[in-house]
Amino acid sequence: MANTYREHIVALDELPNVVDELMRDALPLGCYATEQNVRTLFASRDGVLALRSALAPGEAWNSLASHHPFFANHEREMHALQGIPVLASPDDRPLYFPAEAIPEATVAEGKGISAVVVGPVHAGIIEPGRFTFSTGGESVVHIDAQLSYSHRRLEPWFEGRDALALVPHVARICGNCSVARSWAYARAIEDLGEIELDDRSEFARMVLAEMERVHVHLFDIGSIAAGAGYGAGTTAALGLRERINQLNRATSGHRLLFDSIVPGGVKAGVLADPGSVRVALRELRDDIARFCDALFSKRSVLRRLEGAGIVEKSLARRFAAVGTSARASGIACDIRALVPYGVYRRFAFSEERASAGDVYARSEVRVREIERSFDLLDRGLRELDGGEVPTPLPVRPVAGVVTMVVEGARGAESISLELAPDGRVERLHVISAAYRNWPLVTRAMEGNIVPDFPLVNKSFNLCYSCVDR
Amino acid sequence: MSIGKFGRSLGIRHLVCGSCNGCELEMNALAAPQYDISQEGWSIVASPRQADVITVTGPMTAAMRLAAQRTLDAASDPVVVVAIGDCANGDGVWCEAGDAGAGAGRKLGAAIGVRGCPPSPDAIREGLRAAATLLDGRKS
Repeated sequence: MANTYREHIVALDELPNVVDELMRDALPLGCYATEQNVRTLFASRDGVLALRSALAPGEAWNSLASHHPFFANHEREMHALQGIPVLASPDDRPLYFPAEAIPEATVAEGKGISAVVVGPVHAGIIEPGRFTFSTGGESVVHIDAQLSYSHRRLEPWFEGRDALALVPHVARICGNCSVARSWAYARAIEDLGEIELDDRSEFARMVLAEMERVHVHLFDIGSIAAGAGYGAGTTAALGLRERINQLNRATSGHRLLFDSIVPGGVKAGVLADPGSVRVALRELRDDIARFCDALFSKRSVLRRLEGAGIVEKSLARRFAAVGTSARASGIACDIRALVPYGVYRRFAFSEERASAGDVYARSEVRVREIERSFDLLDRGLRELDGGEVPTPLPVRPVAGVVTMVVEGARGAESISLELAPDGRVERLHVISAAYRNWPLVTRAMEGNIVPDFPLVNKSFNLCYSCVDR
Repeated sequence: MSIGKFGRSLGIRHLVCGSCNGCELEMNALAAPQYDISQEGWSIVASPRQADVITVTGPMTAAMRLAAQRTLDAASDPVVVVAIGDCANGDGVWCEAGDAGAGAGRKLGAAIGVRGCPPSPDAIREGLRAAATLLDGRKS
């Protein structure tokens, strides 16, 4: 495995200039703290680069967010969890709030402006978040999104635990991006241990990851149909997704593919019959294509999608957005193409993009990505046919520090891991695509009408569990 | 089904208390044509006031304690709490991890538990049927 992680030591006073420079071309992944250091992470074609800056106990951190708003939540988290004072932050509200408290919301003020609060418990089957809408008539002027209702202080809890014993936990940080995150975690452990996987295990991992992408994208498309008020589309999408979930169970023993990627390879017994999976997927592919054609050629649906919730390319860039949400605004950020890993390194993988940045563009990118996933699935399953997927290699954790990033259904999913010589976790930091993209959701709604919030929100369909942890 | 009593139709309010969203994915699958709970007269309702059943997931988080209790308080009697998934039932991977609680279903007095990580849609449907049976006994 090519080691794609490097560290540069950068003194605190030099950091802003180095960050300014890197922000031009590289994709920032965030910054996180340990007891002695803060690491500011970037991904580019050369792999992941960490700028390591020593921070003495009690020493303050000069906010990077004052110039690059992308870093704001990362810095709020360093303050909340490691107690690091952050100077000149544009957003110094506490990231988490105490039990039994009702946190204040920011609201717009002005003549004719009123505020409406929704959540944290919602009318659907969705995770908890509180949205405070400042509206003028039907138009949204500002939205305050209060997340962190799912915060469990998991990262401090990881510390001191055996890295291999945490494998099932990592798979359950978020149900939407489980396979992607398990893959990033496995790669982190394997990278430190200089473990190379055989081709069949790598192909099996790609198959599992692409099956996750298809079922999540389909769910999102169904949710967009719901947001547009087209229930028949939602039902049909859920029916197609259910067929994948049943196939997942037959393939991996789990409907959502939890625990299927483990350090050293894939879970024993996974993808035992690739030929039958390939046949089932071919039929499913045709049905999904027919469904997407029908849904996205329906005029009443299109009229709701087009022009709703526009994310300008400059906004997506400013917040270093990732995944389908960024690609729909023309940004190239697919980790499978940008920092290829596993078998993606062998393909000339070209990512799907659109330019309009509206709900339709985000739908369109997903539809095309499903097509690409089926191409990859067909290729991967052909490679696996007529042989067995090896049982996972024995893995002994090796001390070190690494960040690995993979492309989940929502975008870049990164894991930063610091291991002690005895295989215990000194730091395990998880930043999800949803974490990176939340600032877009509220801004995309400005100037849109209140009834379009479910539609615009669902066109991102961001998770909460991996954001709050 | 007894049309005269409407006894087995359910209004369901869903309450997420630190779940990973896996249980929610499977709850959502109940609307797929393969399960289609609307045929049972069940629907996900927009207010706890309309609920016969509160489904709850996750270990419970500090931040959700207040909202969860208020949801329960707002529900009109009789209401049955159904704990969905291992976390809500007290032995999922996140129970008592960090400052997570020991199971939201336990905390909120769940009468019915559906196990699994996450439970399958079939298992959730069975749990909801058990809730309907329980309510049959409580309603006049």
